[in-house]
Amino acid sequence: MPPTPDSDDFIDYGSLRALVVDDSPGMRNALRLTLSNFGITRIQMVANAAEAIFQIKNRSYDFILCDFNLGEGRDGQQLLEELRHGNLISLESVFMMVTAESHYEKVVATAELAPDDYMIKPFSAELLCSRLTGILLRKRAFRDVYWNFQEQDLNAAIAACDTLILGKPKYAVDAMRFKGELLVALGRFEDAENLYRQVVSMRAIPWARLGLARSLHLQKKHDAAEEELRDVLEQAPEMVVAYDLLSDVHLEKKDTVAAQEALEKGVAISGKTVRRQQKLGEIAYGNGDLDAASAAFDNVLEKGRHSIFVTPADFGNLCRVQLEQGDLEAVADTLKKNKSTLQANPEGQLVMAVTQSMVHTRTGNQQAAVKALDMAASLRAGGARGDAQLMLDLAGACMTNGRNEEADAVVAEVARNAHDSEALLAKAKRLYDEAGRADVGTGVLATATGDVRKLNNEGVVLAQRGDYKTAVEKLLTACDEAPYNPRILMNAVWVMLKYLDQVGMDETMLETARTRLREAERQAPGHPRLGGLRLQMKDVENRFGIQRKAAG
Amino acid sequence: MTFDGTDFYAALIHELKNDLGVLSMALGGIPLRGEAAHDAAVDSARLLCQGMVDRLHQALLIYKADHQPIHPVLDACSPHDLVQAIAASAHALARDRLHVETAIAADTPVLWFFDRELVEMALVNAIHNALAHARSSIRIEAGMDAGCLALRVRDDSPGYPESLLESVADGRPYAATGTGLGLRFARLIAHSHDNRGRRGELRLGNDPGAVFSLLLP
Ligand SMILES: Nc1ncnc2c1ncn2[C@@H]1O[C@H](COP(=O)(O)OP(=O)(O)O)[C@@H](O)[C@H]1O
Ligand SMILES: [Mg+2]
Repeated sequence: MPPTPDSDDFIDYGSLRALVVDDSPGMRNALRLTLSNFGITRIQMVANAAEAIFQIKNRSYDFILCDFNLGEGRDGQQLLEELRHGNLISLESVFMMVTAESHYEKVVATAELAPDDYMIKPFSAELLCSRLTGILLRKRAFRDVYWNFQEQDLNAAIAACDTLILGKPKYAVDAMRFKGELLVALGRFEDAENLYRQVVSMRAIPWARLGLARSLHLQKKHDAAEEELRDVLEQAPEMVVAYDLLSDVHLEKKDTVAAQEALEKGVAISGKTVRRQQKLGEIAYGNGDLDAASAAFDNVLEKGRHSIFVTPADFGNLCRVQLEQGDLEAVADTLKKNKSTLQANPEGQLVMAVTQSMVHTRTGNQQAAVKALDMAASLRAGGARGDAQLMLDLAGACMTNGRNEEADAVVAEVARNAHDSEALLAKAKRLYDEAGRADVGTGVLATATGDVRKLNNEGVVLAQRGDYKTAVEKLLTACDEAPYNPRILMNAVWVMLKYLDQVGMDETMLETARTRLREAERQAPGHPRLGGLRLQMKDVENRFGIQRKAAG
Repeated sequence: MTFDGTDFYAALIHELKNDLGVLSMALGGIPLRGEAAHDAAVDSARLLCQGMVDRLHQALLIYKADHQPIHPVLDACSPHDLVQAIAASAHALARDRLHVETAIAADTPVLWFFDRELVEMALVNAIHNALAHARSSIRIEAGMDAGCLALRVRDDSPGYPESLLESVADGRPYAATGTGLGLRFARLIAHSHDNRGRRGELRLGNDPGAVFSLLLP
């Protein structure tokens, strides 16, 4: 019997607003006809990702049906990533991907990057309708979960998942999947492990095994994680994300060669993902495998031409490898091809200036090298920053051109912002060794890291003793010295939250804590400490939200 | 432009997928007029088109399975929703020609683990067969059978030819009036589902009409 308007599973298609994204006019028309036969009256149609984003920024859509292949420009997956990252669509909206490939990556790492469902071309109107109805009903059941999640109240979201697990058997497994991700986000890795084990004991389905491997890895049980991943890959060899995780596990075990191998296997299955190629490039570069590194960095720029995950650092990375390969023509070519992109912002201009300074240094054109270094200096004075690797390149070029003071300042900045990164400090040290300034280098690095370390340690000790006020002062001074140092940022946030918790509300400090936490998220995305800090932040906000209401 | 083998076929198939999709939706959008001659023509065009769509999916999957085994992507799915979705498709194809009914046994689990996409394709193929052979009705059923989820398509046709039942039971190739691709495809999908060493199964029988059963461990 068809559901009636007042029944639980009635969907009022007339009230939905739909967006169709497809580059083929014939398909757009066919889809419009089909959707209007479902009873959807408000249908907007666009031909590409840019138009889709424009529309979505203008008004919200309940249902987005997007073709994966959109011709020139971003593809459907890149559009989805941009929408989710920019918070442009809520969890309540349905995003369905239309694809011509039956082997399209069905198992994406996180729900965040996965569409709600896939339609494989060609498909019938009836199938589309059944799928859409199913998802809309599921989203209706998950309403409380999503609401709490969007309010950043992860504990309440977990409670809402539990309600579904107990009360709605049909959605129990979906709710467990969402809960697993919430537990991981909160840093409750052991609970996540147990949850995934529970799913696996029902059936060893790939996402649950992957979740299990991830929670083992996050608890530093690397061997168990590796074993699980090898098993998963035997069962589902096309599951690319398992290779990503396997590579992380190898990195933790300091086996960078195996880490590279794992990523290479992943890339062979799906080379489209920009972040996979970026990581492969970095690891291969670290392994001294310049050919693999330049191929990967080249792919980053090629496949990621329209991706939000490509940053100026990626251009710098490719040029650096090409330079080390001695292929100056390739460097010139990279810069020329991407000139307009790089010139669009100060960070890109800095990459260009630094790269040019290295090229000219290499070819002995000192005049041009100095000009490029002057350019870099003025960009830096204007606030432009590059990634640590680029800054060290800059320091190296400065030293070769006799600009030692400038070089020392750049290295000190890098060191302050990465006082606990052995790899970067070792690279910096090598620069000084090569320039015959080993003694100076030791001094510069020791001072830079020493200052930050001292402030950090003092702050932490004071906090442990309960003197939160002085601890906050110390760590905020450390933050001013090292504004991009994730460890310092996270410690500062931790101490500020302690202060607010113990001493009382201070709106300015809460805002400072928020800003610093955002910076930490930018500098170390996915760091295991972030979840806990976010949660404490929410707690503090909740408590004082309530107090304020009581007072007013 | 030169047409090198695989690229050419890949491009061609891509094009066909798009065109068939557009065609099937365009046909689906033609309103019926209540005039027998018009409506019957539209219906048979729809059926034929959907048959081509499903045939294309089958053929591509079987072609792929020749090069590498099928790895179903298992997830928790609702057998109820599946039966409803298949019934909706069957209904759209049968219109008033045949009666489509569903029967979900009380022991049908709320969730079961299978690759929805693959299982759907296998069942849709059974629906096409039933549409071609049934006299007046098709029944889509779900229930449990010896620890497996059993998904069935039952019709009131004269039943499968004896020779076919024997060959399928022995796992031998069989003669078909058509390509014989459909049942092979369904068997492949059933077999690809595995639960701790227990494999899925395709079972064909007559009772007295054809009964197509997919058993998923
Ligand atoms: N529901 C049915 N009733 C009677 N005979 C059937 C039915 N389904 C299939 N058959 C027989 O089985 C044969 C094989 O079916 P199938 O593998 O789907 O290939 P095709 O449909 O291309 O012939 C058909 O040719 C037909 O003779
Ligand atoms: Mg057939």
